Amino acid sequence: MSHAQANAPVERLQLRSRFADVEVDPGDVIRFPDGLPGYEGIREFVLLDIDDLAPLKVLHAIDGSEPCFLVVDPKSVLPTYRCEIGAADRLRLGAAEDATLVWLAIVTIRGNGEVAVNLRAPIVINPAGMLGRQVMPNACVYPLQFVVERPA
Amino acid sequence: MLVFTRRRSQSIMIGDGIEVHVLRVGRDGVRLGIVAPADVPVHRQEVYDLIREANRSAAGPPHPMAAIVERLRRRK
Repeated sequence: MSHAQANAPVERLQLRSRFADVEVDPGDVIRFPDGLPGYEGIREFVLLDIDDLAPLKVLHAIDGSEPCFLVVDPKSVLPTYRCEIGAADRLRLGAAEDATLVWLAIVTIRGNGEVAVNLRAPIVINPAGMLGRQVMPNACVYPLQFVVERPA
Repeated sequence: MLVFTRRRSQSIMIGDGIEVHVLRVGRDGVRLGIVAPADVPVHRQEVYDLIREANRSAAGPPHPMAAIVERLRRRK
């Protein structure tokens, strides 16, 4: 990565979608070398904190406006949630054994307003290398669509 | 697709260091053993398909979020 000159502006990225209209710093880009299942060619995302959506966050692709995924800390929907990644995923993330990882679960809002969370295949991010992937651990099998909220 | 017919104890080599071994052929399926480099993920196809479908529906049409977020916050 080349370093910008001291007086050259850092080129910020413009993101525009139904969830956000923001500029982000290229240093905030998380690289997903294998994309996501169903979106294998989408390799660069940013994780957005949007006040109106908290506790949900947005995993936002930087090329074009789609896809955007609502994500949430899995422990906030299931406090007992515990998961480990396997050796292959760890190597792909460049994560040391004791590395701190960020875990996120993809949220689906169904047509009837139900909120379901994918606890079966979480997104794992290694912040040290700004690398991420969606993992499918065989060791911790949680529901694929864990319903958190039903409409009243 | 490359198509092979393999018997029990036969195997296939793919690329650098990936091997598919036929361990047992039985009435309820074929038992396969996979040898792969440590950084190559190996998954059952149907698991990957399920995740793909879940991702597709998660990236789906927009919803008015205010009411949903309100309900999530009230849960805490």
